[in-house]
Amino acid sequence: MRVTLLIAWREYLENVKTKGFWIGVLLVPIVFFIIFHVSSRLATATPTRYYLLVDQSGQYADSVESAILREHQRRVMLDFMRYLQENRSESNSIEISNEPANQMDQLIDDFSNDEVAALDDWLSNGGLAVALQMARPYLRTDAPDFEEPRPQFVAALPPPGLDLNAAPEQIVETLRPFLNGQQRLQAGDNQVSLFALILIPADVDSDIVRPAPVPTGMADDSTPRGLQYWAGNLTDTRLSSAIQTSINNVIRQQEYTELNIDVDAVRDVQRTRLPVSRLDPGKVAGDEQVSLADTFRQWAPMGFVYLIFISLMQSVQYLLSNTIEEKSNRIIEVLLASVTPGELMMGKLLGIGATGITTIVAWLGSFFVFIRLYQTVETAMIVQILDVLLSSDLIPYFVFYYVCCYALYAGIFLAIGSLCNTLKEAQSLMMPLMMVLVVPILTMSFIAQDPNGTMARVMSWIPLFTPFTMMNRAAAQPPMFDMVGTTILLVLSTVAVLWLSGRVFRQGILRTGQPPRILELWRMLRKRTT
Amino acid sequence: MPSSVLSLTNVTKRYGEFTAVNRINLSIPKGSVYGFLGPNGAGKTTTIRMILDIIRPDEGEIEVLGCTSAMQVRSRIGYLPEEKGLYKKMRVWAIISYFATLKGMHRKEAKLRAFELLEQYGLKDFANATVDSLSKGMGQKVQVLSSIAHRPELVILDEPFSGLDPVNQEVLEQLIRDLKNNGQTVIFSTHIMQHAERLCERLLLITQGSKVFDGTVDEARAIIPRRVILECQNDLSALADLEGVLSVCELPVSSEGRIEGTRQWELYVKEQTNPQLILQHCFHNSISLSRFDFTQTSLHDVFVHLVGQEAREHNFR
Repeated sequence: MRVTLLIAWREYLENVKTKGFWIGVLLVPIVFFIIFHVSSRLATATPTRYYLLVDQSGQYADSVESAILREHQRRVMLDFMRYLQENRSESNSIEISNEPANQMDQLIDDFSNDEVAALDDWLSNGGLAVALQMARPYLRTDAPDFEEPRPQFVAALPPPGLDLNAAPEQIVETLRPFLNGQQRLQAGDNQVSLFALILIPADVDSDIVRPAPVPTGMADDSTPRGLQYWAGNLTDTRLSSAIQTSINNVIRQQEYTELNIDVDAVRDVQRTRLPVSRLDPGKVAGDEQVSLADTFRQWAPMGFVYLIFISLMQSVQYLLSNTIEEKSNRIIEVLLASVTPGELMMGKLLGIGATGITTIVAWLGSFFVFIRLYQTVETAMIVQILDVLLSSDLIPYFVFYYVCCYALYAGIFLAIGSLCNTLKEAQSLMMPLMMVLVVPILTMSFIAQDPNGTMARVMSWIPLFTPFTMMNRAAAQPPMFDMVGTTILLVLSTVAVLWLSGRVFRQGILRTGQPPRILELWRMLRKRTT
Repeated sequence: MPSSVLSLTNVTKRYGEFTAVNRINLSIPKGSVYGFLGPNGAGKTTTIRMILDIIRPDEGEIEVLGCTSAMQVRSRIGYLPEEKGLYKKMRVWAIISYFATLKGMHRKEAKLRAFELLEQYGLKDFANATVDSLSKGMGQKVQVLSSIAHRPELVILDEPFSGLDPVNQEVLEQLIRDLKNNGQTVIFSTHIMQHAERLCERLLLITQGSKVFDGTVDEARAIIPRRVILECQNDLSALADLEGVLSVCELPVSSEGRIEGTRQWELYVKEQTNPQLILQHCFHNSISLSRFDFTQTSLHDVFVHLVGQEAREHNFR
């Protein structure tokens, strides 16, 4: 046992003392932080987009501009919500229970339930000025001033010489070099790119589509119909969506008026909603309401499955590279004169296993540090979710399935490493196993959605998939038969694999030349000694 | 007779149809320096691996330091394999210390011992260097030190001199003498006969898995007759009648270093024959010699004599 621990300790130190290991370990939280930080700040970093509105119908310019203004106000409201969460005097966290405690919570609650309605209220109640006034008593004394985001869509002046009454095709041809970025528009002292042209033809009303039993007026597909939105950027659809919604609202209001329907009544009806209570029969009576925490707890095993998978991938890389290094460097012979192959194998498994655990601890640790230091609305929510997860019963499952999964796969990979002299040789032998490993990851979301379904149950009984599948099912209280049966099968399989791997390892470790073929491998599995 | 630290009885190892080691018998006395000689592929490394219990013999018995498996006495054995290798990223002192701890030495003692050895053998300045920064020769020295750091009773060195420059070969020879002076038993395999000649008390010569000689260096030399080269203008075929002379033959005219108009003769004499008798015989018979060349039989000659033909056939087959 002493030499096993010595080998394990050396393996562990060899890996964790390298810069590469810590770069790899820290890269994950750093990348996470960058993605998190960048994505939350990306909206404000989007450059100002200049658009040109040509309304030849003379009916819709106001509604387009109001749609753009509304889009800006939506951003103001979103930023204000974030500001409010981050600078509230009582607490910096969101209560997952969703019980509004004051006016601010009411506002937040309204916003999270119905963003459109909340925006209507926001605008009708005076927008930012009123919201700031209302929020002031609830803000921290040292809260910074709210910075209103700059408008993202700004109207540009038409270029000199553009006839706004010309035929639409002619206007488009004139503006095409601007839309393609070949020419730039003047906006104040700056030259700016034209992001989009919103062209509303004079006869746009003739293109309004009304429900009919049989489609009428099938026009030539190549002819633009209705409002024409010209833009080279096909991914930023915020402006086109806002305009489309707004114009359709105007048209529908016109229709209501023509049909003598009260527009306000329609709007009120459209905002009517029936809340749906999600209840869990498995919970204590009176507390059956499904909270956000419950939902996260249900999906959390997927996170643990990922963690097992990523840590396993990292560990097997170390196992293979270390074993092959010892083989190719011929250190193995010195080692085998000092320790038995079994001691060597167990030492490697323990050492690399400890490396994997260090990785997980480092990831989780840096993650906790990150969310404690970098407090935003989102991280405050993550803190609460993590608290829920850590207080749940998933951790013992994770520990058990991680250990079994590691021992099972590490044994196989170690045997492969012992048969190969180069990483290239190992890669060809690893390929089938890697394909097996991908299966639980591909099926992960299906199993999370139907944790006690046929696929989940069948996969649970295949030892190579058991750790992943049962971990994924852990929150769904699988039947006791599945729990006990798969656990026994998994433990027995792990022991058998380690035993057989030991046989291959003993014979393979001193082997030179090409890796064995299937038949030779079978002989190795059956042979007792070298 | 000192007690035996290692004995092999009819040890045989086969790989399929190929017999790598064939019924080797051997007994190595305690405190001796023992040489394993043999051509490439003779079975030296396989024999050493079986002694160390890295591989198991198919037949026969091995007793190492009184035990049937080297694994039982692994802390009392030091081993340097033929193909040298170390952990490249480890520091020099750490690797020596690590292998010593694997052999049962306490960690602190192993560290002190590592520094002591590095100082003793001129590597103190490299103690904190990583192995990959060392030259091949220095790396090999480090590996030799790793194999003896735990003060083993039996040290097995497989081709320890390969890859070393003459100065480091001398250092290694001294190390082996130091081990012997400490009462440790050393077995080493080599192709370089001069080392075996200088260091070994006893030799094992194997070829194609079989033992062809086991004994002292003098016994090995006695295997082949001593050789005398004579150069003169006379016919010396009559020397064959002299007592102790085994054969006389004239060398071809193309022989190197010959004075024009002279003839060269090669005589083989028995081990105990005094070559002065030949010289006296020539003097009494007024034979004017321009060359009298008597060379001591070298281990190299013995090696070539015993395994040369088979080794050539084996290697080029």
